[in-house]
Amino acid sequence: MNQILQDNRSPRNVIQARLLVLSVIFIFLGAVILTFATAVRLHSWQAPLRWQHWIGFCAWLVGYGTLFVQANKRLPDRDPYLLPIFSLLNGLGLLMIYRLDPAYGFRQTIWMSIAIVGMLIALRVPNLLATLRRYKYVWLISGILLTLLTFIVGVYPGGEGPALWLNLGSFYLQPSEVLKFLLVVFLSAYLADSFPVRLNLLQLLTPTLVLIGFAIMTLVAQRDLGTASLFILLYTVVIYLASGKRRILLISFILVVIALIAGYLIFDVIQLRVEAWLNPWLDSRGRSYQIVQSLIAIANGGILGRGLGLGSPGVVPVTNSDFIFPAILEEFGVAGGLLLIGVFAILTVRGFTIALHAPNQYQRFLAAGLSAYFAGQSILIMGGTIRLLPLTGVTLPFISYGGTSLVVSLGAGLLLLLISNQAEDHHAPIERTTPYLLVSGVVLAGFSAIALLVAYWGFIRSDALLARVDNPRRAISDRYVYRGNILDRNNTSLTENVGEAGEMIRVLNYPALSSVIGYSNPNYGQAGIEFKLDGTLRGITNNSALKIALTRLLYGQDPAGFDLRLSLDLPLQQASDKLLADYTGAIVVMNAASGEILAMSTSPTFDANQLDERWSAWMQDESAPLLNRATQALYPPGTTTGGVLLARFLSQYTPSATIPPYDWNTDPDSADFCALDPGEDNTWGELVSSGCIKALATLNRSSTLSNTLELYTESGLFKPQELPLEVSQAVQVQDIDSYTSLYSGEAGILVSPVQVAVAASTLSNNGRVVTPQIAMAYKNPENDWSLIDIGAEPPDIPDFEAGMAVDLLTHGNFPGWELSSFATHQEAKISWYVAGTPTHWLGTPVTLVIALEDGSPNDARRIGRELFLEATASLE
Amino acid sequence: MVAVFIFVLRLLMLLVLLSFFGWAIFTMWRDLKFQTQSLVAAKIPYITILRENDTAENKLTFTQPELHIGRDAACEVQLSDDTVSNQHARLWFRNKQWWIEDLLSTNGTFLNDERLETPTILISGDEIRAGKVLLFIEIQSQT
Repeated sequence: MNQILQDNRSPRNVIQARLLVLSVIFIFLGAVILTFATAVRLHSWQAPLRWQHWIGFCAWLVGYGTLFVQANKRLPDRDPYLLPIFSLLNGLGLLMIYRLDPAYGFRQTIWMSIAIVGMLIALRVPNLLATLRRYKYVWLISGILLTLLTFIVGVYPGGEGPALWLNLGSFYLQPSEVLKFLLVVFLSAYLADSFPVRLNLLQLLTPTLVLIGFAIMTLVAQRDLGTASLFILLYTVVIYLASGKRRILLISFILVVIALIAGYLIFDVIQLRVEAWLNPWLDSRGRSYQIVQSLIAIANGGILGRGLGLGSPGVVPVTNSDFIFPAILEEFGVAGGLLLIGVFAILTVRGFTIALHAPNQYQRFLAAGLSAYFAGQSILIMGGTIRLLPLTGVTLPFISYGGTSLVVSLGAGLLLLLISNQAEDHHAPIERTTPYLLVSGVVLAGFSAIALLVAYWGFIRSDALLARVDNPRRAISDRYVYRGNILDRNNTSLTENVGEAGEMIRVLNYPALSSVIGYSNPNYGQAGIEFKLDGTLRGITNNSALKIALTRLLYGQDPAGFDLRLSLDLPLQQASDKLLADYTGAIVVMNAASGEILAMSTSPTFDANQLDERWSAWMQDESAPLLNRATQALYPPGTTTGGVLLARFLSQYTPSATIPPYDWNTDPDSADFCALDPGEDNTWGELVSSGCIKALATLNRSSTLSNTLELYTESGLFKPQELPLEVSQAVQVQDIDSYTSLYSGEAGILVSPVQVAVAASTLSNNGRVVTPQIAMAYKNPENDWSLIDIGAEPPDIPDFEAGMAVDLLTHGNFPGWELSSFATHQEAKISWYVAGTPTHWLGTPVTLVIALEDGSPNDARRIGRELFLEATASLE
Repeated sequence: MVAVFIFVLRLLMLLVLLSFFGWAIFTMWRDLKFQTQSLVAAKIPYITILRENDTAENKLTFTQPELHIGRDAACEVQLSDDTVSNQHARLWFRNKQWWIEDLLSTNGTFLNDERLETPTILISGDEIRAGKVLLFIEIQSQT
């Protein structure tokens, strides 16, 4: 008893025991965090807890505990770092797999138990290493035969894909994983046996070349190119270590380059992978989706990581095998990732140390080959997921999901343990140490490159990556976090968040407003106010930096969003939408004094609540329902500027009493064209109001075209739109040949209905230009409304007699001034109706603009008059 | 509240991983230090060579692992006697022993009056004759 205790307290066992205890604490903490992960996401203890992974934890604890005791007994001189490293990596992988998919986690637990039981049995087999050596051909050939078997009865567990697996009841075996391991065993045994005979190198290698070539051809035929490349790598390394000849590296390098080029030309997969590697940003939603999502996951992890169960690594495809490394980086951060890379580096160093201290050549080659197998595979897949190398679908040893891979990794680990257990002083003589130093140096350089790149994506490029539109994490966060509601000016909710935290969906209560409010959709991105004021609705604009940082750190989410109040008046908006429904065009109703938009309609429109069902139909619809015509459509303004021109004219001249006796008519081809029939015995006001082109041209005779265009600019017609909506900017033309072409629209000046409303509102507002506004206020963290600043007011129009112009443009019983226009530009034929309240109006001053693509000026006036009366009555 | 609790656990987890890595690196470094110390500890015992006429003051004591005896000035033990060859004999320390071999000298090297044919282990009190010159060996005891 005393003897055993003494034995157990050797420095090696102390090192190993402490490391094992640390790995147990690490995995235990991880299991606790995973249990409460959902509670953190929902900000409440009253949340469903996760328990499944504790089965895995218990199996892991018992398994490695037993292994530790048995190894103490049977391998007293083993390397003390190996077993703790295996347990740490295996435990971490198991937790990650449970976190990603508990069903897979359970399978992996069973595979781990099988592997550990296998190791315990193997520990009792005497001369295991010698047996492996003796039957080297048997092992390799049976490995190749097993791989060949997949051609006949191979399956792909996940459905469609390369058939690399053999179905063993409810489990799947991947022979190519085993083959890698057997290759190393075979090569070490063969080289150790044949080297003393000292044939020349080519003769020595011929039998291995035949076998390896055959194995690689099998893998290539199976499209398992990752494993094939690893094969070439391992073969080169082992031969180089054994021979010490550098030209092996050179020849192998040339062969790999040739193979790559040939593969690039033959296999689509390689082409795709290489292109996705060289330029992932070009097709980030298609072929390079995986790699881009992988990098975004790393960026989301940041330095400390989101915490186990708190990131969203599930959005990266095949995350539990090929892409488990970015999943770990997302949840453990750059810090955790670097330490993990460090652990792999220690494993490599220990492996090569064991190789140098091995008692004979066979064990030396074996230990070095197995270390190269661990290191090469880790570098290939880690480098592939962080865009250091093209992606190869190999597993991350000990961590990735995959039963065969885990069993083989632990088997290789056991062999390393056995080799390390030899008495130290009797290592075999070594001719040259350079190959060992060179190979381990290259491997460590590879790990360093991975570490640097991880820090680059996760720290330096983090913000840029997270801001990408194809980052689905914002949409995922919206399912958990309150997104600010959008209200109309009377605090009626236009949007609503429906459902429990975790399954919240954004619903638009008034779908006809879809073009204005827009959407925030996980698949189709964002548009409208939801897009332009996302920061406020998400609570990251106008919020304290500390609060944002803290919520992100603690929950991996943004803080609760702010409600937003619009200037829209819902009853007026509904009336406007209803009147426009049968036409194609836009309506803008604006407060002429403040620029607040009271109603904004566009037709046809879409329904933001049905994006998922009808997106592609809307995208292909030629009537462009996704377009907000009020701000995005560009129409020729025609004679809608008549009021402004009249006001300028009246400030300088008195109109002559005689009206030219033209034959006014509504024939678009006529020189005396008017948008509406002005009737008999007209006044100047009636002619301008009816959109008679020649009347405007006559009034303008004393001015110049450039002065007229300057007046357009002064009236705000070309003012850039700064609304939080998708907007188009005016098309200005300097080279205009006549007033007729200017007023008919043929000159090519194009503006949006909102810009026409801005220019028209100067009449109701006595020459003052307003800035249109739709978002008025947000509810700040103190729960008060804060006004949204729209900046300085533009200057008033000089030399402007708005009052006199308004008087001339007002007719009959109608309470406001009116302008009609019919403008054509190329294919477009636009009917306008513009109206506004008089200069000294006692109620809310209102300007209204209607543009119809498919209606007559009469239709526009009918709709406009009805809506104007409604607006002035309701806003009294 | 739950988030703060989990955040502390997250930090602890990273700290534990850091300790794992740190402890492994530290013990590996300690092992390296231990190895270098054991190399230093395995010091070569002093070898003292007394010529016939030497007094206690001018006897030669060496700490390096390899010595040559000869007439040549480059030899550590230089003997100006015509019966001694330029490179006469070599002494070196290996496997915790001092060894001697004859370097094909003209007049031969004798250990305790027996001519050296193969490399032979030296012990304290041995008597070497190179040509006609007598040398007495003392080796520091390793206790």
